[in-house]
Amino acid sequence: MISRRQGLLLIAPLGLVLAGFFLVPALMLLPTSLREYSPGTGFVPNVWTVENYLRIITDDYYREVIWRTLGLGLFVTLACLVMGYPLAYLIARGPVRWQVPLILLVVFPMLLNLVVRSFGWIALLANRGLVNNLLVDLGIISTPLKLMFNLTGLMIGLTHIYLPFMVLMLVGAIRNVPRDVEAAAATLGSSRLHVFTAVTLPLSAPGILAGSILVFVLTISALVTPRMLGGPTYKVMATLIYDEFMQLLDWSSGSALSFTLSAMAIGVIWLSSRITRRWAGMA
Amino acid sequence: MSETETHPGRTTTIVAWLVVIFLQVPVLVVMLAAFSTTSYLTIPPQGWTLQWFGKVLSDPGYLSAIRMSLILAFGSTILSLLLGTAAAYAIHRKTVPGAEAITAFLMAPLVLPSVVIGVAMLQFYSLTGLRGSLFGLMMAHVVITVPYTVRAALTGLAGVDIALEEAARVLGASGFEAFRLVTLPLIKPGLVAGALFAFITSLDNVPVTIFLVGANQTTLPVMIFSSVEMGIDPSVAAVSTLLIVATGIILVLAERRAGFHRFV
Amino acid sequence: MSALTFEGLGKSYGDIEVVRDVSLSIREGEFVSLLGPSGCGKTTILRMVAGLVAPTRGRILIGTEDVTSLPPNRRGLGLVFQSYALFPHLTVYENVAFGLRRRGVTGAELDRRVKEALALVRLDTYGQRSPRQLSGGQQQRVAIARALAPHPRVLLFDEPLSNLDAQLRDEMQIELKRLQRNLGITTLFVTHDQGEALSMSDRVGVMAKGVMQQLATPEDIYHRPATGFVAGFIGKPNRLHGIIASRDGAGGSLTLGETIHLSASRLEHPAGTPVDIIVRQEAIRLLGPNGPDSFGLPGEIVLRSFSGARVQYVVRLAGGVEFVAEAASNGPDAALAPGAAVRLAIAPDQVFATLRDEAGTP
Repeated sequence: MISRRQGLLLIAPLGLVLAGFFLVPALMLLPTSLREYSPGTGFVPNVWTVENYLRIITDDYYREVIWRTLGLGLFVTLACLVMGYPLAYLIARGPVRWQVPLILLVVFPMLLNLVVRSFGWIALLANRGLVNNLLVDLGIISTPLKLMFNLTGLMIGLTHIYLPFMVLMLVGAIRNVPRDVEAAAATLGSSRLHVFTAVTLPLSAPGILAGSILVFVLTISALVTPRMLGGPTYKVMATLIYDEFMQLLDWSSGSALSFTLSAMAIGVIWLSSRITRRWAGMA
Repeated sequence: MSETETHPGRTTTIVAWLVVIFLQVPVLVVMLAAFSTTSYLTIPPQGWTLQWFGKVLSDPGYLSAIRMSLILAFGSTILSLLLGTAAAYAIHRKTVPGAEAITAFLMAPLVLPSVVIGVAMLQFYSLTGLRGSLFGLMMAHVVITVPYTVRAALTGLAGVDIALEEAARVLGASGFEAFRLVTLPLIKPGLVAGALFAFITSLDNVPVTIFLVGANQTTLPVMIFSSVEMGIDPSVAAVSTLLIVATGIILVLAERRAGFHRFV
Repeated sequence: MSALTFEGLGKSYGDIEVVRDVSLSIREGEFVSLLGPSGCGKTTILRMVAGLVAPTRGRILIGTEDVTSLPPNRRGLGLVFQSYALFPHLTVYENVAFGLRRRGVTGAELDRRVKEALALVRLDTYGQRSPRQLSGGQQQRVAIARALAPHPRVLLFDEPLSNLDAQLRDEMQIELKRLQRNLGITTLFVTHDQGEALSMSDRVGVMAKGVMQQLATPEDIYHRPATGFVAGFIGKPNRLHGIIASRDGAGGSLTLGETIHLSASRLEHPAGTPVDIIVRQEAIRLLGPNGPDSFGLPGEIVLRSFSGARVQYVVRLAGGVEFVAEAASNGPDAALAPGAAVRLAIAPDQVFATLRDEAGTP
């Protein structure tokens, strides 16, 4: 009922904003990533090279950072799954009067500022933080445990940040498992555990996949939490990009890393959508 | 609940509630630190005080950061609502070809890592002289918040029967009147939820904003981020507590007025 | 003077022609129905008249004004939707007032006209209710009041009674007809229910596959169907496979089974064509078994079924061919028992033949 022209007029402003302030800047990183940067003097003029990308694959330091990022992504995803599923199950299948309060309790930390949450973990786990002070006061330990500004602190922090995302996706998935199928299994003699492993788990698999992909992609892209909780020496890809742009000023290397990280994120998402489509086709 | 329906067992319930507690812990710790007299934390705290709040609210640095954050959040949310709803309407009515592709494009800022968006805009703004400008910051925040308003608008529009708008047209309403008088009131709850996500996304944002702030301006989260690098300062806890309380109030309001839990 | 006219109206979506060359002229105050199975194009025509769909070909005139390129809000029409489409966020009063407000009517005049419209549908006291609180029939009436309040030139109905239960539907048919008569408003009514169309309309346009099959009074549609489709769609037809045995002028003879021969006064296809033979149940006369052999088809009653005003008989003829015949339940043929021998008499002008896929399917 609205004409083609009116439709274009409605969508143009947003299209232009995104094209100008998102698409163009992103594309402009590409030429930058192909240039050579010389510390102290800036970009070497008229030199084009794929050295920046090659370095990512060949240099030990870069490789370590990439593996670390991916490994972190995997661990956090698993931790969120293991911790999130019971909570999601409680929300989806538990007493109705708990549902809204539980959802709000899950959403509230998610809406809270990332920096604030990370700060909370620092206050909790640092050498002079709450946990260490308590353990020392109680005489359980004499020197503080190193729980912060290292891998441990980072893993705990990241799990906490992305757990609500996982829970919310799982709630949706579990809600979609028809209760009468579960009931049928139960009346056919399945124990509660068996109903879960044979019915609920497989049928909520698409949601598990969706939630895992989301958490994985978010984790490998994370900048703030790794920087705050990982300490100065523990680098992941996003913090490395930050350093290269802001401190080392090696924008060409940083751009190459950015494309690599983006390619990973998009690749994972694309792969998972292929899998989901195949599952949907089989259903 | 009937006997044949499956429900969580005791272990599951306990584990679930433990996870809920785990989720709230850092928040509580921050609030604890804000009221504590000492700059290190103990249980029980050594003493209670409001001095950190006073320090924060009188610090010009913090105040200007808060002001900048609020300007960006309100501004980008309103712009995102306008641009996003208009685009969603055009997509929904399928008056532009390739609705799926366009929707994917509008959602792209969610897919691309924030840090990449940040550095891309850093370079772009440096070349165009927008670095450090309010306009540049505002546009950056529009880019990262618009996926939420578009999604909220599309979802809301999908739930409105097109016959309602047609009825309004035949009764004499122009295209815009039909939208304003019939469709808009019906999608308002969804738009409120979308606006809330947008607002908080802007208010919270560090990975993009940190690359773009100029020498004399900063936003609240960027400021907290930078000061944490220098150690645990209870005034950081105090300003964080202010943020926590504000978020809590917004959440309760959104739930009361628009049944927010339906939209997550 | 014609209140609503369309000339050569056509609509195509890509290669698919949904409406083909339909023309119609409705007089002032006339009630015309468009009747046909789903997908026949009747709703598309209605939506083109309303301005919600742009025609690919043809013109639409209201009175003498060509409205083909006017947007829907400037045509001065009323439309009642199948789903009622009441605005859920407005009260009944505000729903009815909507069209008036768009035309700039305010204050006491607005109030008077809203109340007048509500009174027409006997919902005077329901002004402050919300649509959610109303039953289906009540929502229907609010939808009608809303469409009438701005005094439209033409009133359009898109299968408005389909969602109501049978008894309510019958009541609403009478009420709608009475309303239309009293107001004298030109009405175009779209439906797939033939009973509805025949009982309410001054004229009926039967449509199939985008083409107007016949436009006539209900009596003509029923007793003098113009095409095989109309014959098969209206009333209760017998539909049997057969073949055109021979052509003789405008008509010819048909063969069913192997031994049954029927004369038809109007055929459209050459000899040898396999066809669906259509004979209305009501068009078959039952005769006693005795009499000249050449008169009527001999057969035996296999089943008798009483359905209130009518009685139906399944009659088996030679070669296993079965016809269903209908008779008045208080007439002379009401009490024939299974096993009785009868002869069937079918007048040639009551016999129709259509191509195998043309006959109207319910």
